[in-house]
Amino acid sequence: MKSNFWKLMISIVLVSLLITACGGQAATEAPAPVEPAAPAEEPAEEPTEAPMEEPAGPITIGASLPLTGRMSEPGTAAKQGYEVWAAFVNANGGILGRQVELTIIDNASDQDTAVADYEKLITVDEVDFVVGPFSSFLVIPTSEVAARYGYAFVEPAGGAPDVFNRGLTNIFFAQPAPGDEQAIPFTDFVIALPDDTRPTTFAVVSQDDPFTIGVMDGVKDALTAAGIELVFDEIYAPETTDFSAIAIQVADLDPDLIVGGTQLEDTIGQIRAYQDAGYQPRLAFFTTGPSLPGPFREGVGEATEGVFAAISWFPEAEEYQNADMVAGYLEMFGGEMGDIPEDVANAFTVGQVLQQGVEAVGSVDNAALIEELHQGTYQTVVGPLSFNELGQPQGTFMLLQWQGDTFAIVGPGERARAEPIVPKPSW
Amino acid sequence: MHLPSWNVLIQVAVIGILTGGVYALMATGLTLIFGVMRVINIAHGAFLILSAYISYWMFTAYGLDPFLSVIVSVPLLFVIGLIFQRYVLSRVQGDPGLGVLLTFAMALTLEGLMGSLWESTGRSVRTAYTSNVFVIELSDITLRLPWVRVGGLVAAVIALLSIFLILSRTNLGRAIRATIQNRSAAQLMGVNVERVQAMTFGISLGTVAAGGAMFSLIWTFNSGSHEEWISKMLSIIVLGGMGSLPGAFLAAIIMGLAESVAAVVMSSYLSPIVFYLILFITLIFRPQGLLGVKVREE
Repeated sequence: MKSNFWKLMISIVLVSLLITACGGQAATEAPAPVEPAAPAEEPAEEPTEAPMEEPAGPITIGASLPLTGRMSEPGTAAKQGYEVWAAFVNANGGILGRQVELTIIDNASDQDTAVADYEKLITVDEVDFVVGPFSSFLVIPTSEVAARYGYAFVEPAGGAPDVFNRGLTNIFFAQPAPGDEQAIPFTDFVIALPDDTRPTTFAVVSQDDPFTIGVMDGVKDALTAAGIELVFDEIYAPETTDFSAIAIQVADLDPDLIVGGTQLEDTIGQIRAYQDAGYQPRLAFFTTGPSLPGPFREGVGEATEGVFAAISWFPEAEEYQNADMVAGYLEMFGGEMGDIPEDVANAFTVGQVLQQGVEAVGSVDNAALIEELHQGTYQTVVGPLSFNELGQPQGTFMLLQWQGDTFAIVGPGERARAEPIVPKPSW
Repeated sequence: MHLPSWNVLIQVAVIGILTGGVYALMATGLTLIFGVMRVINIAHGAFLILSAYISYWMFTAYGLDPFLSVIVSVPLLFVIGLIFQRYVLSRVQGDPGLGVLLTFAMALTLEGLMGSLWESTGRSVRTAYTSNVFVIELSDITLRLPWVRVGGLVAAVIALLSIFLILSRTNLGRAIRATIQNRSAAQLMGVNVERVQAMTFGISLGTVAAGGAMFSLIWTFNSGSHEEWISKMLSIIVLGGMGSLPGAFLAAIIMGLAESVAAVVMSSYLSPIVFYLILFITLIFRPQGLLGVKVREE
């Protein structure tokens, strides 16, 4: 009886292993025959079969981005950033004298698709380098793929703690500071306020996303340590659209400061719900929405006034190649300078880091590139960047506040261009 | 679990009921289509979002208020519904599985179309009165009722009353009801079932157009939003009883209320569970839904 039982168990385990193995294979191979909806030219056929020679063709760089689905907004901006960078580099002699060729695939904001995409880019398309997708949610699983094949993974938007705590050495986050430090300029600012305007209570209302949760944990630690009381702490599912019940509770507690862990749509949803509920915070901070000037203004109108957010870049910044990037963007995609999303700059930064790293190494060797990126300092549109052993960047974000029709940089320190308005006007 | 103050509880309950009214407007067409055609219109959510986009587009391009632009969007969606049923869906008549597949394909097509037309940025209509509220003071309780939600409920009641009048007072309505009760018998009695079905689909999309207009005023949406809303609407009509209009209305109010109250009593993350618990328990004791009738499939 007993041995039969064990035979049964072992066969079940074997069968399930087989199924997972097949499933895994299917998952990685499935996308291969389907041509991705990439605008990309197929990586120029390299007819030369001689693999030992350094191919003289373009340097191929692949990425999978959320061009559709819930992260499509920043994903599309990141794609534009990569394209502006590639056009700029190619117009200026390429990298190591070779042109750059991008292959960008849409992963529909889906983790499994993104993982399969990177597998395909590395194993089927055999690109020279891969660069990251948008946001920690997609960077976490895809960086594992890159690590497995020994590829460096410079990425524009995955700064959550979970990006760096998995023992990977190939990740390089191309923003000024890790995600959970994004709100530090704001919390420093709040803590330093004089007693008459310094908040005594705050509420945190955050989307369930590794990035926003990371930022919110940083905010909660810093503010509670400074004696400001957390009176309300809510996490909602990413697809939430209705915030009225949350807002009514927040209004009832009436905290001095509201901190939203948000992307764009829920920033708009939250602010509108607070207006409906009659809640007037003295200070308000949201992680992402306010740094997308056009859509944020369209969504909440005058209620933008006085809202804070953190930002890694702004169009007028006098950083390395920033003016070139802004000009290139406007030429390729049109629009107003003030409407260029920050994600464009973050993706451009990825390109800058990659280019300078590759040029320092002098070849397209990923292992050598990884070693180089842990040591060097690179000039970028968000300022000079260097990385610690975990791939975390060593700098700080800027603090922005909406004043009038657009936002102004109000900190930290000498980077400020305007005086912050405290308390926030009514919305 | 934490008990909020009465003030909060009553406020969220009232908001929940208002929201439920808008849900009812959105889900009515779905239950009507199922009643008449026995087809689950998976594209209903996509038509809802399409209507919301039409309202958004007419507002941003021509400054037309969504309450007014329904004059355009309702007839437009009505015609789209007629054509879709008459020339597409009727071809797979009698095979509900294929009908679901076809409407699913329609949903994906619409999603792609909307994504390319309006990009995938979150949109919503922000009018001058978007953040206006009616403030009602009742002794120590203050009710704040956003104009747009009150307007949504009023629009829902008007639309549902019109449908009710069409169903109860007109020949078309009698034919629709007869088709719901027994398609073959209705056909034998001389009802032009094809025409009834096309009209039903048209009317259903007309109501969803009105729902979409209200939607655009209250929530943000993008081309992919239809997925979560179709599941919400399906749950409503299953709870209410597939094919039952009053059932859909009742279930929509229950959903709005349950979501809203559960969000403050438990957490907003857990709030959908409460509605589904109500749904499961109801289905255990009344498999046909709250106000549904048992049908014996021949």
